[in-house]
Amino acid sequence: MAKRVIIIGGGVAGMQAAITLKKLGCSPLLIEKSVELGGKLNHWDRLFPSGMKAKELIQNMVDEIASLNIKIMLCSEISEIRHEGERVEVGLTDGNAFEGEALVIATGFELFNASVKEEYGYGIYENVITSADLEAMFSEGTVSTSTGLPPRSVAFLHCVGSRDLQIGQPHCSKVCCITGVKQAIEIRELLPECQIYNFYMDMRMFGSGYEELYKKAQETFRINFIRGRISEASETADRQIRIKAEDTLLGRPLKLTVDLLVLMIGKRAAVCNKTFADNLDIPLNESGFLQAKDDFYNNTATRHDNVFIIGTSLAPKTVGEALNDASMASTRIYDYLTRNERQL
Amino acid sequence: MMNLYFEPFIIPFCIGVVVLFGVMWTKFISWISRLPKTDKRLILKNAVSSATFAALWEVIRECLLHMRIRRVNLRLWYMHMSLAFGWFLLIVVGRIEGGIALGSLMNPPYVDVFFRKYFPYIHIPGFGFLMDLILLFILSGLGLAVYKRFNSRKLGMKRTTRLKRTDRVALISLWCIFPVRLLAESFNSALFESGSFLTGSLGDLFALIFPTIALYYINNLLWWCYSVVLGTFFIMLPFSRYLHIFAEIPLIFLRAYGIRAKANPTTFSKLQIAACSRCGICIDPCQLAQNNLTNNTQSVYFLRNIRDKEQSPDITDHCLLCGRCEQICPVGIELNTIRISSRHLQRAGEIRFDYSYFRGTDLSAGEGKVGYFAGCMGQLSPKTAAAMKRIFQESETDVWYADSEGSVCCGRPQKMAGNLDAARQMTEYNTSLFEKHGIRTLVTSCPICLKTFREDYRLPDIEVLHHSEYIARLLETGRLKRNPSSKILTYHDPCELGRGSGIYDDPRKVISRIGILKEAPDNREHSLCCGSSLGNTRLSTPQKIQIAKSVTDTYEKTGAEYLVTSCPLCKKALGRTSRIQVIDLSEALFLE
Repeated sequence: MAKRVIIIGGGVAGMQAAITLKKLGCSPLLIEKSVELGGKLNHWDRLFPSGMKAKELIQNMVDEIASLNIKIMLCSEISEIRHEGERVEVGLTDGNAFEGEALVIATGFELFNASVKEEYGYGIYENVITSADLEAMFSEGTVSTSTGLPPRSVAFLHCVGSRDLQIGQPHCSKVCCITGVKQAIEIRELLPECQIYNFYMDMRMFGSGYEELYKKAQETFRINFIRGRISEASETADRQIRIKAEDTLLGRPLKLTVDLLVLMIGKRAAVCNKTFADNLDIPLNESGFLQAKDDFYNNTATRHDNVFIIGTSLAPKTVGEALNDASMASTRIYDYLTRNERQL
Repeated sequence: MMNLYFEPFIIPFCIGVVVLFGVMWTKFISWISRLPKTDKRLILKNAVSSATFAALWEVIRECLLHMRIRRVNLRLWYMHMSLAFGWFLLIVVGRIEGGIALGSLMNPPYVDVFFRKYFPYIHIPGFGFLMDLILLFILSGLGLAVYKRFNSRKLGMKRTTRLKRTDRVALISLWCIFPVRLLAESFNSALFESGSFLTGSLGDLFALIFPTIALYYINNLLWWCYSVVLGTFFIMLPFSRYLHIFAEIPLIFLRAYGIRAKANPTTFSKLQIAACSRCGICIDPCQLAQNNLTNNTQSVYFLRNIRDKEQSPDITDHCLLCGRCEQICPVGIELNTIRISSRHLQRAGEIRFDYSYFRGTDLSAGEGKVGYFAGCMGQLSPKTAAAMKRIFQESETDVWYADSEGSVCCGRPQKMAGNLDAARQMTEYNTSLFEKHGIRTLVTSCPICLKTFREDYRLPDIEVLHHSEYIARLLETGRLKRNPSSKILTYHDPCELGRGSGIYDDPRKVISRIGILKEAPDNREHSLCCGSSLGNTRLSTPQKIQIAKSVTDTYEKTGAEYLVTSCPLCKKALGRTSRIQVIDLSEALFLE
């Protein structure tokens, strides 16, 4: 009989792990707390840098899961994990429990709550939105201010909830720089006459094709990149957003009024990481992400031979990196589950 | 001619007394004579008034009976009181006994102190018993003191002061004084039947054990010892923490005359520093100690470092200036002001602040007799500023918004860092701005600004109010109307508003108008600091968050739906860790 592997989290990483394990002959059980598979990508329109539709990626994976007959459980939230010897038991909040011989943690991240940075006015001023809100607008096909009109000027502020010691988020969220470039280009495509500004600390264009896109954003799409963080935002009488910032390249303070301010919110460690850390004795890093055994060969492994962590439970990651994690962990689990057979 | 009753064994004691009073008076006279003219004028003005009697009463209450420690902890109080009051009684009763015995009150002091040794055969009815009783009283306190040194928790202190060498020598000699006196009087009684129930009984026991010749030699040796330990303690006293025994007396008088410590320090600060008994009561309430963030910067160590001239910014700057230690200090030392003045001395001349570019800047908007100053942190909390705007509109008040488009800092952060000159320039700028716009009332949302507006600004024609006071007033006069709901709210007292400015009731009045107030265990003058105080420039952000977490935990346990505070800095700090929503008092008026 095929060995049961429990995967917690039905985002792209969890789905990829389920697919790979099934193909290797294991019996994965994919547990997802929401009503559908796909995780955070369900709320995202296009993916950087190519602009592929997130829906398309999810649909492909969901189809494959269906065709492989992988067992999935939706609307199921974890209450506790017990690890005893070679067995893992996962208890759900509805009282059910499942046993498996290996466990994959793929519970992902949470979006930073922008209202924590009150000085940017999210939740106070109607025309301050987050990058996630903007994706929802893109999905609907129109970008507009609270009055329903297309904005004549848009400012993006990078690193909201990232690289910010004051709020206990010391890490870089990795994907927001390139997302800011992608979203600025998408606005330009929708609104050719719009003034577009990106306020950044530094642009981290690490991935393949990112730097090229960044250059194109400046040259072809006429997007203004201003190095400097916004210190505060306020609202004018006609609901525009007034920004105070510093252009650190010119060394000058700067005031700007725009129709729409987009906060590029970062990734936060999920609250449930604490449950895994406590139940399985896995360390958390300063930002609250789960820590793998090491940063190299064991970068998805834990102190338990049959427990693996993948995707953004470990750190902010791109979609591609999360998928790679899933494949890596799956082959390691396969190795582990078949170790006795191979010895024979 | 007066009889000097000289015996060689009194020499150590006499040297001790001469050194003690010589050094101590030199210090006190030099400090008082170097007080600034304004302070001296205060002494002259208030010396012949009821203040002197009040001070005298306070000396009895505090220097002898230590009533303030009683509020902290009963056992700790008994320990301090029995030593201080007991010793005082021993001296007074001894003096009376010597006076009656010799028919004169002009005897040299050592005659009273060594009375049994001098006159073993003189018995004045009652005195032997009384002196034994007092000695027993002191010894019971001493027993507690020795026990506390090794088991501080048993006396209600989690942590006790770590000692330096001079303190240790003084401490050991102090500990020896009364047991040695007990032994000396007991051996004396063994030879001469001079003791009462305590020393007499012990003496009878010794008489059974030792041959008479041994009793004789031991007795002489013990009286020498008694003189030596007394002398040692007296010599060490002005150089150790025990100077507080006497320093607290002039401190109480000068304070009664209205003299206070100043950010630009005067010799009054030196007197306050000398009055610190290093009891260590300030250590436990320190949140930096509670959170294990530092164990050598608390007020007791900070003051000792000043006395030992071992100040360093590492110690001076590592303090929240929350005032929890100042609030509990049994001597009433102005710890925050002394800390700020110490920072000032360290910073003096370090950086020159030139804010001449302030001149002519005016970023205010609107017009009215009421001015509103959100403060830097207030502007960074737009929910607060927006709620205040709604309040002004609802109460139909014309408002001059002092800093809606930008502002110059009130200056208090610079003052807290010790940069008094920078603070002065900001004070001058803002004062002229307020005067220029002719406001009669100045409302601020920031307790940090409030404190400096009230204490460091000279605004004779302007009433300065914190928004909690202003809102309470609007509700009281009916210009703002609210009906209580069933919402449960808890309240966090900001340090600068509560302990700093004494405003505890107004925010609570406002909350009780809109919902049900549920207090956390540490409230009002005992409230905790949010941890993000501008006072501390040494804490890292994770450490500040650690403190905030320990604070919000206590509010979460109240079961409240909202954590209300009235300081934008506290709101930001607590919002990082609180699981219940943190809101400003002004926002609380608009809860749905």
